[in-house]
Amino acid sequence: MEINFIGLASAAATFLGVWIGHVSVRKIEREVERIWIPSALALTFGIALELASFRTGSLILSTICGILGITLLWDWLELAYRQPKRVMKGHAPANPGNSRHAQILAAYPDATTIDWLDRDPRGTPFSEDELHAIKDGTK
Amino acid sequence: MNWFGILVGISTLFIIGLGFVWVIRGERYFGYLWWPYAMGAGIILMVISTSVTNDYVCALLGAMGASLLWGSTELKEQAIRGELGWYPFRHEKIQPPFAKIIQKWKAPSL
Repeated sequence: MEINFIGLASAAATFLGVWIGHVSVRKIEREVERIWIPSALALTFGIALELASFRTGSLILSTICGILGITLLWDWLELAYRQPKRVMKGHAPANPGNSRHAQILAAYPDATTIDWLDRDPRGTPFSEDELHAIKDGTK
Repeated sequence: MNWFGILVGISTLFIIGLGFVWVIRGERYFGYLWWPYAMGAGIILMVISTSVTNDYVCALLGAMGASLLWGSTELKEQAIRGELGWYPFRHEKIQPPFAKIIQKWKAPSL
């Protein structure tokens, strides 16, 4: 029986695209002050990869470009809108050394430098008091 | 003109979107200790895809496998989000087989 490699190509593109996107969106949004620049790059390369996937004759290349292109278009949304919103809500830690984040810290009371997710699950929900204590302890 | 990659790419977007749903719901009702099962299911789907002759089905099975694999690494963080009150929390979780053993393993988080 012949092996069809298209599924493995699409699996690799999906997993690596999501993983690299997940890590780099957080890192880039945290460090870069003029966020429109990486956003515009993600948008441009996303469209370019979709065009490449449209033009190539190889199904495997077309799959990889198609999936990575869509992933980059999603990263554009993440960089430009979704990740800054998480910082405003305090769900992603703000970087006070980044002037854009410093403005968010000043304007949004829920914004914080705490990384709330940097812990292990304990099996029970946190009370309001516990959440306040964590927030006050690190300030 | 090759529509294959774009169609697979857009379908993958929906498969990943579905990933958000099952990770959130799955963690709420079953708990994050199911992660090795999600990981195993993802790998099985990828292996099955290699013997599928229809290229669209093959590509989408691969993407579903990768999405399950990624979801398995998200379950632990989702458990924390639930405990922090960012998502509804349920005390009664349907534990997986061998939960006691899995508890001793370090849950992946990428």
